[in-house]
Amino acid sequence: MLLTPNAMSRRLRFGLYTTTGVIALLLLLPIVFIVLLSFGSSQWLVFPPPGWTLKWYEQFFSNAEWMEAALASLKVALLTTVFAVALGLPSAFALVRGRFPGREMLYGLFTLPMIVPLVIIAVAVYALFLKLGYTGTLFAFVVSHVIVALPFTIISIINSLKLFDQSIEDAAVICGASRLQAIVKVTFPAIRPGMIAGALFAFLVSWDEVVLSVMMASPNLQTLPVKMWTTLRQDLTPVIAVASTLLIGLSVLVMMIAAALRRRNPVSA
Amino acid sequence: MKVAINALQAPSGAATGAKGAAMKHTPPLRERWRGRRNLLPALLFLGLFFFAPLISLLLRGVLEPVPGLGNYEQLFANSAYARVLFNTFSVAGLVTLISVLLGFPLAWAITLVPRGWGRWLLNIVLLSMWTSLLARTYSWLVLLQASGVINKALMALGIIDAPLEMVHNLTGVVIGMSYIMIPFIVLPLQATMQAIDPMVLQAGSICGASPWSNFFKVFLPLCRSGLFSGALMVFVMSLGYYVTPALLGGAQNMMLPEFIVQQVQSFLNWGLASAAAALLIAITLVLFYFYLKLQPESPVGNSNAR
Repeated sequence: MLLTPNAMSRRLRFGLYTTTGVIALLLLLPIVFIVLLSFGSSQWLVFPPPGWTLKWYEQFFSNAEWMEAALASLKVALLTTVFAVALGLPSAFALVRGRFPGREMLYGLFTLPMIVPLVIIAVAVYALFLKLGYTGTLFAFVVSHVIVALPFTIISIINSLKLFDQSIEDAAVICGASRLQAIVKVTFPAIRPGMIAGALFAFLVSWDEVVLSVMMASPNLQTLPVKMWTTLRQDLTPVIAVASTLLIGLSVLVMMIAAALRRRNPVSA
Repeated sequence: MKVAINALQAPSGAATGAKGAAMKHTPPLRERWRGRRNLLPALLFLGLFFFAPLISLLLRGVLEPVPGLGNYEQLFANSAYARVLFNTFSVAGLVTLISVLLGFPLAWAITLVPRGWGRWLLNIVLLSMWTSLLARTYSWLVLLQASGVINKALMALGIIDAPLEMVHNLTGVVIGMSYIMIPFIVLPLQATMQAIDPMVLQAGSICGASPWSNFFKVFLPLCRSGLFSGALMVFVMSLGYYVTPALLGGAQNMMLPEFIVQQVQSFLNWGLASAAAALLIAITLVLFYFYLKLQPESPVGNSNAR
């Protein structure tokens, strides 16, 4: 009765739906607001904007620092994705198929970077790279991002690998394929949605990573979130709204890809 | 054919029966170890870049500047630091409370409305979750500032006379973080509600329960596992959150993560910072242990033993 709308009293239903509507709007508010502001003509972010303009977009795309930051973000995110999948894929296989003691504990170890507060990981890794003299290098960015992206990748690959019936792979082996051939030609295509989801997660985690990046950054190398962070602390220029809008656009794109994957393969991802 | 396939699975399934005992030595050692070896690259990576730095950071808390527990003593004795701890816990508690209060009706409605609508609501939740953290925080910064939309709207409605101070203090932190945490309540809670059989509630009302007691005595207890695990997760995440407090909060009222970064970056006081970090990790892990206790099963647990 509380879960069947028709049996609910009209007053309760009305109250619940109104509350929900308000909360849903609240969830959308900052996102819509920032997109609108990026087209607003007011330097002081007056709302509603006195007029509409693309000049902040022009400023963003013509500014070498913002463009370099965006490029650095892309580079770091792509490298992170590659390494997270390369490290995560064999681990997922071992965790799902292995028959050795301590598997649960190992799984726990792998997910630990998701649980330990980011600040602490950032400070710890910063200390290490400070000692090695690696701060502000591409290496430092990618390594620190892979640490936090890895659990996401491993979990999504594990989820789809668990749904895959290993006897299909074994059948390929019986039919004469080598184990490696069977894995590459039979298992990989079957668990592709999980692999793509894992890669997308890794990309998004890296692309949006602030805390680690701020610690790793140097004036020579900074990602988009770092550039946003440092600019934000000085003033609230609408150019940040442009950067935010582009980030939101990317998230929506990635979400749509993920949704399309889910539709094609409803059991995984 | 089937027998052949089963034989190939020997390492996983052949431990039972006389035949299993006879085959005990047949699975080639190579096959058995292959699984474990696959873990090496990732373990090596995490060991080198995650566990080693983490452990050496924690060690600095008892070694620097002089060996002993001096840093911990300072952390609890100094009233300014105690204030940081108090802020951290009260903000995390408040954020958990608010996001549960806002997330509950949303999760309920998603379960209740026709599928199409439910999917839209869920998409809104996911969109807000996956939208860049900085973008959302920046947006709240602009929305909440003294000349921002919210203050202007409240003044235009005559609710307030002068702009409220809603950023650069803990109010801003609580607003921004509650917003960020709502999806983390809605998703587990909605999954729990989805799994409840509506018939149970119907039975409650047929047996004479008023909607009110049906809600509190039947529905709410059935939601408990999702509610608790969501709330616990949000609380843990809030304790360790850095970005939103650093941008929406003020220099006066810090939280533990900001305190750690400040000690490292501004004062180079690694000893105190790592003592604070150890405290934060300990709290996080203990709470996470309870979180795991609430989970029905581990993803690599027995369920996949074929």
